[in-house]
Amino acid sequence: MTITLLLEQVFNGIQSGVTLFLVAAGLTLILGIMDLVFLAHGAQVMIGAYAATGFTLLTGNFYLGIFLAIPLTFASGYLLEYLIIKHLYKRDHMEQVLATFGLILFFNELIRIGFGPAALFSNLPPSLSGFVYILPETPYPVFRLIVIFIGLALAIGIYILVAKTRMGAMVRAGAANPDMTAALGVNIHMLRRFIFSVGASLAGVAGMMLAPLTVVEPGMGEPLLILSLVVIIIGGIGSVRGAFIAAVLVGLVDTIGRVFLPDMLRAFMSQSAADGAGPALASMMIYILMAVILVFKPTGLFPPKG
Amino acid sequence: MQALKRSLEILKSSPALFILLLGFGLFPIYTSMADLPFWNDVSMRIMLLGMAALGLNLVLGFGGMVSFGHAAFIGIGAYSVGISQFYGIDNGWLHILFALLFCAAIGLVIGFLALRTKGIYFIMITLAFAQMLYFFFVSLEVFGGDDGMGVDRASFLIIDLWDPLRLYYLIWIALFAVSLLLLLIINSHFGVILQGIKDNESRIEAMGLSALHFKITAYVASAAICGLAGALFANWQEYVSPDIMHWSRSGELMIVIVLGGLSYIAGPLIGAIVFFLLEEFLPELLYFIAPDYSENWMIIFGPMLIAVVLFTKGGLMAIFEQLHRRITQRQNTT
Repeated sequence: MTITLLLEQVFNGIQSGVTLFLVAAGLTLILGIMDLVFLAHGAQVMIGAYAATGFTLLTGNFYLGIFLAIPLTFASGYLLEYLIIKHLYKRDHMEQVLATFGLILFFNELIRIGFGPAALFSNLPPSLSGFVYILPETPYPVFRLIVIFIGLALAIGIYILVAKTRMGAMVRAGAANPDMTAALGVNIHMLRRFIFSVGASLAGVAGMMLAPLTVVEPGMGEPLLILSLVVIIIGGIGSVRGAFIAAVLVGLVDTIGRVFLPDMLRAFMSQSAADGAGPALASMMIYILMAVILVFKPTGLFPPKG
Repeated sequence: MQALKRSLEILKSSPALFILLLGFGLFPIYTSMADLPFWNDVSMRIMLLGMAALGLNLVLGFGGMVSFGHAAFIGIGAYSVGISQFYGIDNGWLHILFALLFCAAIGLVIGFLALRTKGIYFIMITLAFAQMLYFFFVSLEVFGGDDGMGVDRASFLIIDLWDPLRLYYLIWIALFAVSLLLLLIINSHFGVILQGIKDNESRIEAMGLSALHFKITAYVASAAICGLAGALFANWQEYVSPDIMHWSRSGELMIVIVLGGLSYIAGPLIGAIVFFLLEEFLPELLYFIAPDYSENWMIIFGPMLIAVVLFTKGGLMAIFEQLHRRITQRQNTT
């Protein structure tokens, strides 16, 4: 019983970890390469979720909805960079925090006007809503498994893109010394816009995968944004590899803590108190983990070389 | 008498602050004549927000430390009142003492750990500590958890707060004291060094001073000021919940400071006034243009914030200063 429960929770932890990674991957590059505190990345998650849900409702086909939503999230990232973000690179962190905070307010309100304040529910097609047996007598939802596979595949894709391709070399050079990279003939503006748009689409994909698992509502991206900021700090700002490891770590700690902390707390306090305090304490654990790591390694686990 | 004279002299050095404090002090006379008691309430909220923002501005504007977690100290201050009452301590002075002590102690711990980092890491670690405290109070089911707890207006020995005007002037006196204290700090030796650290930390270190000590001291002081604002806030709202320490509240505090003008002593108060006026009147303005969407005033406020960041340097105070300079120049030429 406990082994199957543990296994199930480990899978859930990995699933939330890879989702978190998709948000954090773009954000760590935005923070690291562009030195930009971008708080509206959670809004990209929301845009992705709403785009997929909206197109699914419109076309009646889940896959077509996703297919149409991905270019939209790319376009929204591209447009956002072109209109607002490119003016913020040279500003100090404080101003970036405020401007992107303003973006959060704007996007949440825009969605509220467009779709109403109530939550939307995104239904999975029958082909994705079944269960598979990961162990005998341990059924696991197919869709969560698919999320894990897509997350891992995208993680490998990002790794190849950054570490093995010409584009990735430019990205890494841009991170180390943007002025010198520009002097060597790389169009640093286009490079930034490209990273930003790809980051936005990855966050959008995270939103699309979250949509059927949770509710789609205005402001849904913010908890994910805060968690992915924690992931980025733990992993080291600018490090995609660090973001991946930290994301899985945070996903596991959060999920497993949420399930097992109430059980452990019951040893010290009444059942109802433990049930109430458990999830909140599990949320706290992530921040304690981060604080402990930062005390010993002030620049995170895998600070990028440069 | 001597101290009062010196205080007035310092206040004169910042006329904007002097006028604002005078305005807040005289405002209830206007509201009682115009029979608008509701605006006393708004004024109290503005003073409390302004007080917290004044505290944050010490580290943000004058120390150059972008702390993204100061709402946590407001929360600790507010919970100091709620939890003290829960255990039967009704003395308001004790509540304030607890708020100051707890905020200073927790500020010291957070400051010590967070100030080892710089730049983006500092912003994020202050946010993380604030989140930690937020979830801590959510997890405390005894004190209401997510739903929060009711608070009675405290009695301050002989003075109780059953009359809202007494609370008003208690808040006003606190705001006055905090403003004066900040003016003293900014103009002191300590304040000059703090601003020096903001401009060039390594130069201050090269002078043989420990920048970290100054930064931690400023951080603790600003935490305590936010705690005071929080304790009074609990008395004003008669209710405390973790919501007041949500991370978006920390963002709000920053907005207030930047609207008014970073590193101007009167900036946070101006910012607080403008923030509440916008909150009050943007929905009404929207009601004229698009009646169905008057609730959605954030759709204007968000882009406005971006415009303030992109197009103004130094917020409203800087604009006032420019206007003032232009007027005096014109007077000089004629």
